[in-house]
Amino acid sequence: MAEHEHISCQEVVELVSDYLDQTLPADEATLFEQHINFCDGCDWYLDQMRTTVATVGRVTEEEVPEETRDKLLTAFREWKRS
Amino acid sequence: MNAYKFLRADGTGVFTRFAWPLPDAGPGDWVATEPHPCRSGIHACRLGDLPYWAGRVLYEIELEGEVVEHKTKVVASRGRLLRRVDTWDDALRATYTRYCADRAHEMARESGLERWEEVIEPSIPEGPALLGFVAARIAEEAGGPQAYHAERARQTDWLADRLGLA
Repeated sequence: MAEHEHISCQEVVELVSDYLDQTLPADEATLFEQHINFCDGCDWYLDQMRTTVATVGRVTEEEVPEETRDKLLTAFREWKRS
Repeated sequence: MNAYKFLRADGTGVFTRFAWPLPDAGPGDWVATEPHPCRSGIHACRLGDLPYWAGRVLYEIELEGEVVEHKTKVVASRGRLLRRVDTWDDALRATYTRYCADRAHEMARESGLERWEEVIEPSIPEGPALLGFVAARIAEEAGGPQAYHAERARQTDWLADRLGLA
């Protein structure tokens, strides 16, 4: 890894799930955290994601209305294609 | 080994938000966990790592047990905060940030890298870690990876001197 390697705000958005799941390789996680350390916007974004995960994590599958579930599945399928 | 650790102003971990037992009359309580870089463990800085992580408040930390050396940090299985490094306050943070900005301007001008000039001043509100990075990146663009290291070493020397750290 070159010393100057860094990640952008856009990459933080792309990597945030892997970071929260602790599946990023150590070097990449270090770059992620160095970015968070000096970017207030991404620090705030990471906080929001943590809050979202903690909140949504308490919702069981049975609690999600069928219509909402279908919309979410469609959105995820579209997202995968884009 | 003794090392250093930046925390948020409220004494919580920058990334984990873990509420550290802070030193008072004596060291804070020991904290123990499995050492795994970026996942678990007590993360801390060696002197030369400080510019990469420059944050709000700085503590000296004692590390014990298994200590894993990483490129820009160390990770240990046990640690306790020994003392706050009081010399690292808002005034010195601002002074150091300005120092890095001035170095960045100087190197950008000397190396004909004027496009960096647009980045430097707007980055100042983000604080010292970003300005240290910007200065090191300009050094690297002007002189290659060795220049990047040299600039980071210069930042370390500045901090060690002003903070009174060996």
